[in-house]
Amino acid sequence: MLHLTSQAKAHTCNGATRRDFLQAGTLGAIGFGLPQYLAAAEAGHTGTEADRKSCIMIFNLGAPSQLDTFDMKPEAPAEVRGPFKPIATNGDFQVSEILPRHARIADKFSIVRSCYHTAAAVHDAGWQMLQTGRQFTGGVNYPHAGAVLEYIKGRRSDLPAHVVLPEKMGRGGGNLPNGQAGGFLGKAYDPFALMADPSKDNFKVPDLLPPSSLADVRIDRRRRMRSAVEAGMRQFETTESARMFDANFDAAYRLMNSPTAREAFDLCKEPKKVRERYGMHRFGQCCLLARRLVEADVRFVTINTFLTVFNEITWDIHGSKPFTTIEGMKNIVAPMYDQAYSALIEDLQDRGLLDDTLVCGLAEFGRTPKVNPAGGRDHWPQCFTCTFAGGGVQGGRAIGQSDAIGAVPADRPTQPGEIIATIFKALDLDLHAELPGPGGRPFPLVDFGVREIKELFV
Amino acid sequence: MSRMVIAKLLPALLVVACQIWMGNALARDPNRDVATSDSSSTDKPRPEEISATVGANIQVFPSEIKLRSRHARQQLHVVRVRDGFAGETVPGVRWTVSDPEIVQVQDSVLLPLQDGTATVTATDGDGKQATLTVEVTGTQAKHQWSFRNDVQSILAKQSCNMGACHGALAGKGGFRLSLRGYDSEADFRSITREARGRRVELADPGRSLILAKPSGVLPHKGGLRLREGDRDFQIIADWIASGAAGPRDDDRRLSHIKVLPELSRLQPGDQTQVLVQAHYDDGSIDDVTHWAKFSATDQSVADVDETGGVTIRGSGQAAVLVWFGSRVVLSKMVVPYDNEIDEAIYAATPRRNFIDSLNLDQLRELNLQPSPRCDDATFLRRASVDATGRLPSIAVREGYWAQAHHLRRDWLVEQLLSSEDYVDYWTYKWSDVLLINGNRLRPAAVKSYYDWLHESIRAGTPWDELAREILTATGDGENNGATHFYALNQTPEDMTENACQAFMGLSIGCAKCHNHPLERWTNDQYYAMANLFSRVRAKGWGGDSRNGDGKRQLYLATSGELVQPNRGRPQRPAPLDGDPLEFDDPGDRREVLADWMVSPENPYFARAITNRVWANFFGRGLVEAVDDLRLSNPATNEALLDAAAKHLIDHRFNLKALMRTILQSETYQRESISLPGNRDENRFLSRYYPRRMMAEVLLDSIDSVLGTRTTFDKIAFSGGDAQKTDVYKAGTRAIELYDSAVDSYFLKTFGRNPREITCECERDDEPSMVQALHLSNGETLNPKLLAENSLPQTAIAESWDDNTYIETLFRTALCREPTEAERTKLLGVLSEYEDDRATALQDLAWSVLTSTEFTFNH
Repeated sequence: MLHLTSQAKAHTCNGATRRDFLQAGTLGAIGFGLPQYLAAAEAGHTGTEADRKSCIMIFNLGAPSQLDTFDMKPEAPAEVRGPFKPIATNGDFQVSEILPRHARIADKFSIVRSCYHTAAAVHDAGWQMLQTGRQFTGGVNYPHAGAVLEYIKGRRSDLPAHVVLPEKMGRGGGNLPNGQAGGFLGKAYDPFALMADPSKDNFKVPDLLPPSSLADVRIDRRRRMRSAVEAGMRQFETTESARMFDANFDAAYRLMNSPTAREAFDLCKEPKKVRERYGMHRFGQCCLLARRLVEADVRFVTINTFLTVFNEITWDIHGSKPFTTIEGMKNIVAPMYDQAYSALIEDLQDRGLLDDTLVCGLAEFGRTPKVNPAGGRDHWPQCFTCTFAGGGVQGGRAIGQSDAIGAVPADRPTQPGEIIATIFKALDLDLHAELPGPGGRPFPLVDFGVREIKELFV
Repeated sequence: MSRMVIAKLLPALLVVACQIWMGNALARDPNRDVATSDSSSTDKPRPEEISATVGANIQVFPSEIKLRSRHARQQLHVVRVRDGFAGETVPGVRWTVSDPEIVQVQDSVLLPLQDGTATVTATDGDGKQATLTVEVTGTQAKHQWSFRNDVQSILAKQSCNMGACHGALAGKGGFRLSLRGYDSEADFRSITREARGRRVELADPGRSLILAKPSGVLPHKGGLRLREGDRDFQIIADWIASGAAGPRDDDRRLSHIKVLPELSRLQPGDQTQVLVQAHYDDGSIDDVTHWAKFSATDQSVADVDETGGVTIRGSGQAAVLVWFGSRVVLSKMVVPYDNEIDEAIYAATPRRNFIDSLNLDQLRELNLQPSPRCDDATFLRRASVDATGRLPSIAVREGYWAQAHHLRRDWLVEQLLSSEDYVDYWTYKWSDVLLINGNRLRPAAVKSYYDWLHESIRAGTPWDELAREILTATGDGENNGATHFYALNQTPEDMTENACQAFMGLSIGCAKCHNHPLERWTNDQYYAMANLFSRVRAKGWGGDSRNGDGKRQLYLATSGELVQPNRGRPQRPAPLDGDPLEFDDPGDRREVLADWMVSPENPYFARAITNRVWANFFGRGLVEAVDDLRLSNPATNEALLDAAAKHLIDHRFNLKALMRTILQSETYQRESISLPGNRDENRFLSRYYPRRMMAEVLLDSIDSVLGTRTTFDKIAFSGGDAQKTDVYKAGTRAIELYDSAVDSYFLKTFGRNPREITCECERDDEPSMVQALHLSNGETLNPKLLAENSLPQTAIAESWDDNTYIETLFRTALCREPTEAERTKLLGVLSEYEDDRATALQDLAWSVLTSTEFTFNH
């Protein structure tokens, strides 16, 4: 693929021929032609040996209650503070008693309690803002932070630059794009989605390996016959979608022929003890797989804690059926999250990966300060907490405060753009770099004046 | 604790669609100065009127104006006029006034001095002139600013009452306003009575919190909003000083808003300005450009700043969305493409029906070249897939080619529309809209809903009748499958929202909590409509949809009203903008709803279904997204959508009539190959846009080429558990499934519609590497190639030669003959397999069935 970096070892199949050409065509269609590409490449957007930075974005679909997890208000009236008690940690802040393992590793992560956004209180509006840094307006779909990274730095190995586990998030209630895609950078920058549950006994990446009947020589013949037929594509207009359909066969071929990829996705290589430490549930095994992928040079892994907010017990604790109550969090969701997150952070640190790997825990919004009559909390974008660990982030701190009831930021109000800027910063991206936007307009990585959350890094 | 303001809680069901206000969040050039432009001449927004003044090639907006008080003002704007269209802003205009004692022009703003009339002339650098007339009255009269019309407009323009600020349900910092100012009475109370009255200080307006905070005198988390000395600051100060009068019943009321110009024709790089006028019920017209809010519908064509200044960035068609006083209006911009196209091409392009005429009008306006007609083989495959979700059978292919050349396509259209495949395909499509889904209905209910729909489509039930049967359904679910619409939507609110979404393409969920920010629907209207459903009851509702036998009995209670939470009482039942019923009206309220819904007068009903049908054939709706027919979301070709909707109404909602007209049109029959004169566009139908076959159709097409079958024997619930099912007999095609919960990795990977919410957007036709992996290594295609009766095995058993095999594959899969180049290459690779011919033929079939040409319709 034509990325802004030379990827000699990535060209395992037919060299820099067809796909690169097609890719350049894709860029041209959005106003970023070959000359600009070459200029960008010359301007030094190429990988270096110091280029070790990765990011694991945990996206907490449903949106956890700040008041029952990381921003406890024990002094607030009963209708605000909820059923749980705060506990001390080895960091500078308290967390909820439903997150005991977090308490033991709080020196390794920091929290920002003053996050907020100004869009509608529907899930998908928050999904797009917290994954792209911007609200989609004027017909422009912005790229996921991982897509931006892939666009600028390309792949680091045979594996895709950006992998989503276990599968892409579904639709929310607002009928809006959810931001888990390449946006205006094009479909070529959509993430690779695993499409399987790694906690299942028979887990494997679906269709990664050819069936035993397909010897290499057959695969090669199939490919050559396919390209003979594919030449007929000229008979109809090659839209971006049609080009991508073909290009995906090359990408698939590269992946299935990569020993690195086979190895990385093979969770059986992990001792049972390690697997159990993360928890034998979907989210736990996704966290473990994320660590393996980072080790295998995947640059960006997005983990969806849940797949949608429908038909599943998630962080979306409205209280009424079919949602869970605040109390209900302590049964499934919180223990699952507590176990997997703490295992991931500790494991990354034990392996010396934490310094180069930012792990952020994001969500689309927070929950209403006042407990609702059903014993739940509803949507509340005005104030919520995000967590950050690794990637140069200093742990143990609470940055930004909310007011007495967790309703609004009391200081250091932090918007989604700053959170995405923080991710870019941890990945050593220049916030002022420009992307080719729709109509050939240059789009800065983040809007003018938006900066990373500096306090996390000092 | 009284200080503590806690949110009125967002109802849990706010999860349902709430169209968000698309604000102007994008980076803008703050230095762009629209006021440098000046303008001249006559005001006529409509292009045909403008053309009456040919010769004048600059024009001033507005052409005449009445200034009715000494505080009135009017921003002026001069544009070039070309071919009768308003064009770009004319820079550097010089203004002269016939009587300088009556009015003056400052920075392109017309200001009154004393009563009288005057003529104002704009002169551009070339000496071209345009004039407007102005009448000034009321300069001696005492003027009082109005809370409803002036103060509220300022609060809206400064975003004080937006959802992110004091317009949040909980307010902000203890100060709460109605969202975008829809409730002036409540806002007035909040401003003058709450916070111990400190928000207004009659004796010293500057100390009023409502001025001191936004102007930065006191800390304000919302930042600097008003500068002391600015006009808006002064208006609020004057309003306070004169007694802070509240909204009055006899206030003039906004009747509509208007933009100038309504339509412009521009080029990339051009700048222009949108002016906004408020028309009130007393006949007065105010310039409210400075209080209106602007946003772009397509920034890659036209971008707009907060003052209404527009920059054209690319070719195509775009609009600036203008909001003022809860009204929304569009200023449209046409930016022709930079192509050299011979006029004669348009005249020479054939026209079969109205679609072609209206399409060519637009292509001509945008300077886009239509691609030529596709060949017969292409049409055969394209139309079969689009109309019936199926590759043409041998019988259809033979029948088609046996027809005389000029009759072939019409013959095919009739075959398709009367086929059983048509019934299966469209039942499936409408099942997507109606959410027939085993996750939410019990198996018996899934089947009876599906059977009812299938039977309706086979019988050719007109769409209005189908909608009516659903909306007014009662009785036993087993005998009346239409009742299951209500089983899926068991509250009046859900019924209202999903009926609007499915049948009118309207998301009215926003109006559940507050007036809809982008539409005219109010909270009152929402609850009036929902109250039409308040007496719908059923035995057997509630509980987990996977338990029980699914037997339900839908009936109407004789009493019961839905209370509107904001008012604490029910609204009289009424369809959105229809007449209300009396509470004690004994009839089925839903009959009234159905009458209103399917009426040809309802602008949404016919357009919504027309747009859904259109999207099926052209790959995109005239309005995109298909389910989003807001007024503020214009069609790419409004005239065409209007005409197509009217066509459907004229044919009594017979969908086949619309489909026939579409299939017969030259617009549908164009090649999918682009020309230099249309390469850059992807929405104006200058050619057919290729797209991947939908998941179900692709799977069925693979089976039909190979002569194989897919087994569907499991229902996969979204929690991860599964259940065996035996309702799908061997040979059931994917398009014949009742239920989106039927387990199929292939369908999931290729993006079937999971039918969670009414939205075509749930279907995903994006290509992905996962799909390529599945076709290469997965358990769908490979086992089919090996299956006993599949085409490769048949070829071996019947001893076909390689050429026959290749030709058969190409004809069934691609509807064409192989080229010599293809034949040579394929035969070459086949020969490498030596005596393993079975494998060779399997792999050849694989290469055809995974090609882009096969998987796409084009």
